Amino acid sequence: MHELRIAEDLAAMVAGYAAEAGLNKVVKVNVSFGEYIQIVPELFEAAFSEAARDTVAEGAELDIEIIPAEMRCLGCGSAYIPAGDLCACSFCGSEEIDLIHGKELFVKSIEGG
Amino acid sequence: MEIKIMKNILDRNQNKAEEVRTMLKAGKVMMVNIISSPGAGKTTLLERTCEALAGKVRIGVIEGDVTTDRDAQRLKKYNIPIVAINTEGGCHLDSHSISKALEHFDLEHIDLLFVENVGNLICPSQFDLGETFKLAVVSTTEGDDKPAKYPMLFSEARAVILNKTDLMPYTNFSIESFMADMAAINPRITVIRASVIKGEGMQTWLEWLGRQIDEFSAG
Repeated sequence: MHELRIAEDLAAMVAGYAAEAGLNKVVKVNVSFGEYIQIVPELFEAAFSEAARDTVAEGAELDIEIIPAEMRCLGCGSAYIPAGDLCACSFCGSEEIDLIHGKELFVKSIEGG
Repeated sequence: MEIKIMKNILDRNQNKAEEVRTMLKAGKVMMVNIISSPGAGKTTLLERTCEALAGKVRIGVIEGDVTTDRDAQRLKKYNIPIVAINTEGGCHLDSHSISKALEHFDLEHIDLLFVENVGNLICPSQFDLGETFKLAVVSTTEGDDKPAKYPMLFSEARAVILNKTDLMPYTNFSIESFMADMAAINPRITVIRASVIKGEGMQTWLEWLGRQIDEFSAG
């Protein structure tokens, strides 16, 4: 369900940037989602195509890049990809960690003319 | 032609949330965003908390409900300001709906504002409301795998209330497994074990909450 709301925000952003750049038609929208953001790409695509109806981005292709989660250990400073559900540092076992990638929700660019 | 943008899609929500946070900070109102599955015990926790803090802390509540105002009705007897947001099917609250709800409160007469989010472990954790912190409520009957399955909420919450501990003997809930997952996902989180309906753990919760209020008003 939250896919629809986020897709509406995206469609509004795309329309705004397209108007600013003087685009009459947007044919492709490139976005990056973090692995931990809990968005189902298929649902999001369907939601976006609804949200973009009657806008410059109607029918635009949506390219979703998934960014894998990456942690930084505050103990030993290593950056690592977490294994499975557990996030403790794979080098020193410390549980004092920060998520550096995985929660992105970015619109990278739009393409059109 | 390609136009580079590189902007967060949730910027609109995030900007409003920061506005709400700044306003509440200036007005010395601590806001707690309570997130759980349906039936974990959010409203009962609020009932018991309102009872315990009556006359000591000035409480206000924003109730997010999908279709009814039943939760708001349950809290009416405490004579506190309540604003119900009916999301009409929406699965979460966002910062714009909170900002509108705040217009109905006299914030000068509120110290602690609870937001009872829509019962759902996924969507509400995506949307910053401008809260001081998120509180997760999870009950033993839901199973011990909730932190591992919904890491986003548990990685961001300042505390989790593990509710319905009195029912643990009747379930296959493993407290060891729950605590181990919790520690791996968020080592800084405070876990409070409780049976809210029986009053167990309420003292621990209220003392912890009191410390958050003290730190908030000092900071």
